[in-house]
Amino acid sequence: MNKPQGASMYASADKIYPREIGGRFDKLSRLATIVLLGLFYTIPWLNWDERQAVLFDLPARKFHLLGLTLWPQDFPYLAMLLMIAAFALFFFTALAGRLFCGFACPQTVWTEVFIWMEQWTEGKRAQRIKLDKAPWSWNKLRRKGSKQILWITFSMWTGFTFVGYFTPIRELGADFMALNVGGWTLFWGIFYGFATYGNAGYMREQVCKYMCPYARFQSAMFDKDTLIISYDEERGEPRGGRKRSVDPREAGLGDCIDCQLCVQVCPTGIDIREGLQYECIACAACIDACDSIMDKMDYPRGLVRYTTENALHHKKTHVLRPRMLVYATLLLILITGLMTSIAMRTPVILDVIRDRNTLYRELPDSMVENIYTLKIINQDERPRSFSLSVEGIDGITLDGVDDVINVDGGGVLSLPVRVRAHQDDAYGIMTIHFSVTAVDDEGVSVIEDSRFLGPTP
Amino acid sequence: MVNEEYRGTQQWSRDKQAVFAVVWISFLTAAMGTMVFFALFDPVDLSGIFDEDLEIGRDAGYAAGFFFFWFLCALCSGVTAFLVRTAPKRNAKKRQR
Repeated sequence: MNKPQGASMYASADKIYPREIGGRFDKLSRLATIVLLGLFYTIPWLNWDERQAVLFDLPARKFHLLGLTLWPQDFPYLAMLLMIAAFALFFFTALAGRLFCGFACPQTVWTEVFIWMEQWTEGKRAQRIKLDKAPWSWNKLRRKGSKQILWITFSMWTGFTFVGYFTPIRELGADFMALNVGGWTLFWGIFYGFATYGNAGYMREQVCKYMCPYARFQSAMFDKDTLIISYDEERGEPRGGRKRSVDPREAGLGDCIDCQLCVQVCPTGIDIREGLQYECIACAACIDACDSIMDKMDYPRGLVRYTTENALHHKKTHVLRPRMLVYATLLLILITGLMTSIAMRTPVILDVIRDRNTLYRELPDSMVENIYTLKIINQDERPRSFSLSVEGIDGITLDGVDDVINVDGGGVLSLPVRVRAHQDDAYGIMTIHFSVTAVDDEGVSVIEDSRFLGPTP
Repeated sequence: MVNEEYRGTQQWSRDKQAVFAVVWISFLTAAMGTMVFFALFDPVDLSGIFDEDLEIGRDAGYAAGFFFFWFLCALCSGVTAFLVRTAPKRNAKKRQR
């Protein structure tokens, strides 16, 4: 962006060099990174009954989740799952603030790994700044080059894994080794790998500041009882440097020694002492930084800490509050609903469509005939045989249907059927029940209602 | 002292903010739209409707659908962002004083 100086209120985007800090929360975030990315990279390699345990087989339009196979008609489950995810996010945000941002968001997690690689190759913060300022040399080329190699290899592996959720990963791996990956598989692999490289290598927390909608929304879910990271102004102010031997109370100082470490470690470049800001992704690096200084100064820890607004103002923090109960109830209902419907799911679906052209047909022998189209969807992976029956009227019969109906695995069978009943029994509008039952398992059965029309008596 | 090096220097320009926000938000929306759309429709069933000889595989259908949604969403939020950002300021004169 070539703009004359002063045309924009904002300086151009200079690189952020977050300073590394050890501590409790750093350990926690490393653990979260390893666990979450560990799951991401290993799940596609796990098998279940000789096929990939988690495989979103888009070309075949079916999803394998452990023992479950889902078809496009199971879409409501996906919608419910998304709703559960949304409410879980609301719930945890109201309870614990942006815990998700700091520890579990893919953006944070991948950025963390990319920063590790940066540190291995380019060294610590001061070394990195120096290296960037230095003219090109063999050393700089070597360090920058090895960083790029690590980043690109890791991105490629990430793209490969991502595609492995949609294409059987073992075959993909063999193809990859033989350099035989092509077409859309290759395209999406590179696409996802490149997105990882750009987001985690270069854009980092700028994504959180400028691109993430959640970062802006979350304040709506916050209240005075939400867990936030905050500077204890009452305790810290007036801030100022002092010798370790000086008693701050006598010198009229608070506990903040104004060392700026909390600012230096902040990946979004804010000063937590200015209060809660939407840029804060709650990574808790400033808590680690401040605690380390407090330890050195022999002051109690927690000048910057996880707390709530109420606690800061010496009020009681309420965990149970109406908002939490509403979110929790909705979450519970949705989760129970999803679990029950999956548990009660029969792997066969029956749709009954009544023929709209004719109301009914009168046959000889005072019989009445209605015509329907049945759709039998076999949600199992293997072909299955079903038997069809109808009831609801005395002496009702099915015509034009075989005793055993075979449907392919995951297949949909359209079956026109004629249903007959005697005029004496079938008059006006009556309700009838079609039922489809698997021949090999009586538990696999569904009943679907429809209307049977006859002459008005 | 370290402060100087840190604060205020890491901000993206307004243009860059707008472009990346548009690209990213339309990406997410398109991903959602693609998911819902292709859960309901099979690209193979759709491939014949414009031209009978046109046969698109599922992979290509999904990709085409996704990029179409992405383009559409980016167009929508891009134009919106443009209009919002270039609109005449309310009480611009008053503010200058």
